[in-house]
Amino acid sequence: MQKVDFKSNLTQKSAQLVAAIKANDEMVLKSLYITNYQKIEFLVLKNNGTKEHAKDIYQDAFLAVWRNIKDNKFEPKNESSINGYLYTIAKNKWMDFLRSKNYKKTILNNDIATLKSDNLHIHPSTQDHEFELKLNQAMKAFESLGEPCKSLLKSFYFDKKSMKTIANELQIDAASVKNKKYRCMQKLRLLAQNLNKT
Amino acid sequence: MNAEKQNITQEEFELIERYLLNTMSETEFISFNETLKTDSLLKEKVENCRITLQAIEEQSLIEKFDTFHQEITLENNSKIISLSDNVKQVKWYKKYTVAASIILLLGLSGIWYLSSTQNPKQLYNKYFNVDPGLPTIMSDNTSHFKFYDAMVNYKQGEYIIAISKWEALLKNKPQNDTLNYFIGVAHLANKNEDAAIKFLDNVILNSNTTFKNEAYHYLGLAYLKTNNIELAKKNLTFSTIDNSKALLSELND
Repeated sequence: MQKVDFKSNLTQKSAQLVAAIKANDEMVLKSLYITNYQKIEFLVLKNNGTKEHAKDIYQDAFLAVWRNIKDNKFEPKNESSINGYLYTIAKNKWMDFLRSKNYKKTILNNDIATLKSDNLHIHPSTQDHEFELKLNQAMKAFESLGEPCKSLLKSFYFDKKSMKTIANELQIDAASVKNKKYRCMQKLRLLAQNLNKT
Repeated sequence: MNAEKQNITQEEFELIERYLLNTMSETEFISFNETLKTDSLLKEKVENCRITLQAIEEQSLIEKFDTFHQEITLENNSKIISLSDNVKQVKWYKKYTVAASIILLLGLSGIWYLSSTQNPKQLYNKYFNVDPGLPTIMSDNTSHFKFYDAMVNYKQGEYIIAISKWEALLKNKPQNDTLNYFIGVAHLANKNEDAAIKFLDNVILNSNTTFKNEAYHYLGLAYLKTNNIELAKKNLTFSTIDNSKALLSELND
């Protein structure tokens, strides 16, 4: 009987999960999102927050986890290590919010002290302030980009569809898709640039 | 950034894009890296494109969140939070609140006990067992191998991985009853009842399926979990499984 190498099996599975997340596999992202939300909502609701707070904190944390996996700053061993990491980040974000000046005015400090923040080996945001600022401007620009360009850029860079697939969907040839994509990128970069000036 | 920096030709953009998306050949990569060391304008252009690509991905993901969130029916979720989760929360409160929590929990348990016969959540927990799956076999056939590889994930409770592997196979065989059935039961085990219903519905559309009774049984449970008692009963009626009959009789009581 062949000996089963559990360690390599585990590594292979975690690599598949990471690959699916990096490829923005909608099914995987959606399942992770749905599976983990409830626990975070419960945490926030039980600690002076509202459902709206829970949703905001959770989405912020989810984005941070996704970004850290993409940047290889967090290498999950399996699905449950992602769940734990997401919970910890959300909990820390909620702690930060509770400790913020605006929030402290409304509640007693004693209530906050009972929630302990967990140490993370990797902080969700290590990128510098200037980078974050530019990124936010570019995100706003993409949010307001006109629809044909937005869909095209999203299909290629987020959904990771091939040129051939996009060409088939748009019923044009691949070279035209490339031209369109370049023009859309120029438009987006210019829009972000103009937001920077305002 | 001045006009010169903003202006990137298509050729230059595609070069930068290949660099950022890691699709360069080794030689091209080494040579590009060398140029970057001395060409500060190119370096700025690369950084600008890097930020733009990251912004597209992050904003697209944020825009997906709302769709994901719609699938979480908050009303149901508040009901599935388990008692053990409640107990875990107790440690966050000061000692004097513990006593009050215990009294509250005992009170709630009492209410649940008194109303136990018609509580859908309790009935669901009583009757829901994860389908044990199929015995995994060794196979040289690629699609068989992929199917059983996902079955190993399913049996270990790694439902998301199993689902994504089976969905890849489903693209070529969208009507396949075995795939639809296991994707459905994996979704149900993963607490995503709406998705479970969608796939299990595909199973019963296939009149020759060997999963007919099981599919109706799990459809009944999925509807029970979503508090749709009428549809739960209707689906359970079509299943000859003993557990379906027992559950149906409790629902009719």
